[in-house]
Amino acid sequence: MERQGNVLDEWIVGGHRFSSRLLMGTGKYQDAETMVGAVLASGAQIVTVALRRVGRIPREDDMLGPLGELKGVTLMPNTSGARNASEAIRAARLGRELCGSPFVKVEIHPNPHHLMPDPIETFEAAKVLAAEGFLVMPYMPADPVLAKRLEDVGCASLMPLGSAIGSGRGLATAEMLRLILRDARIPVIVDAGLRSPSEAAAALEMGCDAVLVNSAVAASGAPIAMAAAFAQAVTAGRNAHRAGLMPQGGGASLATSPLTAFLSGEAP
Amino acid sequence: MNLIVNGEAYEAKQHESVTALIEEMGIGGRPVVVVLNDEVIPVSSRSTCGLREGDRVELFRLVGGG
Repeated sequence: MERQGNVLDEWIVGGHRFSSRLLMGTGKYQDAETMVGAVLASGAQIVTVALRRVGRIPREDDMLGPLGELKGVTLMPNTSGARNASEAIRAARLGRELCGSPFVKVEIHPNPHHLMPDPIETFEAAKVLAAEGFLVMPYMPADPVLAKRLEDVGCASLMPLGSAIGSGRGLATAEMLRLILRDARIPVIVDAGLRSPSEAAAALEMGCDAVLVNSAVAASGAPIAMAAAFAQAVTAGRNAHRAGLMPQGGGASLATSPLTAFLSGEAP
Repeated sequence: MNLIVNGEAYEAKQHESVTALIEEMGIGGRPVVVVLNDEVIPVSSRSTCGLREGDRVELFRLVGGG
């Protein structure tokens, strides 16, 4: 379903226009310099951050400083660490105070063994935060029924997982993503589990509006180069989706060259 | 003055304002959210916001995350 059709191929979420369809996380990097370099190489315009309590801030670890200075980057705090809706709501309000951005990634995963998002707490938090004017981007299981419920309570987008956070298992939820895409009237951003740029391209080819990657870049051999590769893949996937993939089929009737034998066919 | 900072007992030498406390803790100038007894104290109010014995202070900052 075509949700955006303008020449620049921008997408709109919560009333904000973006041209990049690659969102980046900032966790797991060796150092802030690599993280900032990767964000720049990715062309990402939406970048997630987390909130934690602080006692002392070592100079090298000041996240907001370098990121906050990047032009065209919108910081999106996540609510990671929250075990339930109430904690997520609190984290969202603190995040908005610190980032000055209305975007919030509602992320509630109480079980550290699999990091699966809690659908019930996520729904409850989304409902409250959307009513408070947040642009809610819920990290969610790839469930089409939940997707509709979250859309109905005012989320700005849907962020279904491809596979478990950090697992690198790619688009394990592809069939569910197709069902979500069929009915969603807000952007669908695949978030979590991607490992390779080709998987990001596949998500965009399928019709997803964007992808969010973190481990795939941060834990790769060369994060800055990998970030650039992801950017290229997202563009390729999106262009392919707009061009329309060829019909599927098989058999001799679809051969692209004449089927007469090379030397025995008639001369032209 | 005895305060509870991030859930732990803390003896503050500078307590005439929230700004003074965070300077004492070595965080002055860094972006933090300050929550005093469950109320967010905006940046503009910190230098005039006083502290009392037993106040609960929580400080949050941004870190990397997915």
